[in-house]
Amino acid sequence: MGEFWGVLERYFPEFVSGFFVTLRLVGISFAIAMSVGVVIAAFRVTPAKWVQRIGGTYVEIFRNIPLLVLLFILFYGLPSEVQFSRVTAGALGLGLYTAAYVGEAVRSGVFAVGQGQIDASLSLGFSYRDTLRRVVLPQAVRTVIPPLGSLFIAMTKNSAVIGGALQVQDLMMKARGISADTFQTNEAFFWAAVGYLLITVSLTFVVRNLETRLAIRR
Amino acid sequence: MNAKFLLNAFLVNIEIAAIAMVLSLIFGLLLALGRVSKSRVVSIPSGAWVDVWRNLPLLFILLYLSLSLPETWNARYENLVPAFMPEAFQSGRVLAGVMGLTLYNSAVIAEVMRAGIQSLERGQGEAAAALGLPYWKSMRLVILPQGLRRMVPATVSQLITLMKDTTLVSIIAIQEIMRHGRILSSCFTCDPQPPLLQVFLVVGAMFIVVNLTLSRVSRRLEIRQRERTGTEVQAVTGLEDQVAAKADVT
Repeated sequence: MGEFWGVLERYFPEFVSGFFVTLRLVGISFAIAMSVGVVIAAFRVTPAKWVQRIGGTYVEIFRNIPLLVLLFILFYGLPSEVQFSRVTAGALGLGLYTAAYVGEAVRSGVFAVGQGQIDASLSLGFSYRDTLRRVVLPQAVRTVIPPLGSLFIAMTKNSAVIGGALQVQDLMMKARGISADTFQTNEAFFWAAVGYLLITVSLTFVVRNLETRLAIRR
Repeated sequence: MNAKFLLNAFLVNIEIAAIAMVLSLIFGLLLALGRVSKSRVVSIPSGAWVDVWRNLPLLFILLYLSLSLPETWNARYENLVPAFMPEAFQSGRVLAGVMGLTLYNSAVIAEVMRAGIQSLERGQGEAAAALGLPYWKSMRLVILPQGLRRMVPATVSQLITLMKDTTLVSIIAIQEIMRHGRILSSCFTCDPQPPLLQVFLVVGAMFIVVNLTLSRVSRRLEIRQRERTGTEVQAVTGLEDQVAAKADVT
């Protein structure tokens, strides 16, 4: 039992730095996934058929390709003129990958708003853009928060793939390094697991809190 | 020649996925049944088990198992594995790979199935009980057929995720498609040497084909089910625990 805490004590700075690398990956990917995802959702709900098709193709490709393949292409595959750093390539890959799911979640939120409201807004003289911005999106945001929340929890878990594929020193790779140093695999991975659970569980609480705060009282 | 090299490796992915899918569905159902059990001695531990494995990164689980499974297990597996299995399966590391995939996915699928079971109206269970069906019989004949049918789309989308996630076992050194892709693109004796970008675009295309087929099949299945039984399926838009999250809320 002494060893259990001993590993944490001796390697505390390592664990903390890995934890923050994971947080940074998650943060950047979150920003990319949100912005690209909303654009994709907008593509998929516009009236123009060919724009819809672009959005649909994006979703089908990125949802069916393994994240690992995407990361390899972005980091090892691109011509040397557009060489990304490991963290950038990783976060970009994870962000673009998650964006497809975000797009789908936001789209279903938009559809949940109901054609009647869109028709009403258009007939009141709102332009298409204003309808989307002032009528559809504020309501859609509320319905998409729970699915988005679980998406970002999934994304946090997927961030470990960046560490494994591109040798970024995130929480998982730190655990691997520590277990190689000390042969205390159980202890090292236990404390890293605590780190991951810390992120995923607190995300769950944030989402639940947001949900109750944004809920419309009808 | 190169295409065959990749396809052979892709077959390993498909086989790993198939084994893990079957195991995850079986254990997922058991865990779901445990979680909805009336006895707290069963429901609390199975709930905790599901929550832990579901909230850890899959790659993290795989890496941990590959580093920590006792040598004797690997040796026993290597003795047991039949010789007709592909070369990649002869290594003991496959044990960790399949175990990790199963641990994680059975937990996620358990949540999906539980959501399906609990989405049924209470009346169904009550009616079955009123008709004198014992617990297991009402589960088997009334609750599960309806509850699981609603969750077909969600389950299939998780199985597609599983298929994609088989690439992660390359990180614990199982010779599957990602490894073969790397070997191919760093092969200096090949003439011409295939560029990495193209190799992995081909790999990506292979996954897209298999996964799109999977989702087409599931959609056909869904439509036929709806025509025959009038099941209302639960809509899914995303991945992993989305359905489960929805069930938590209600």
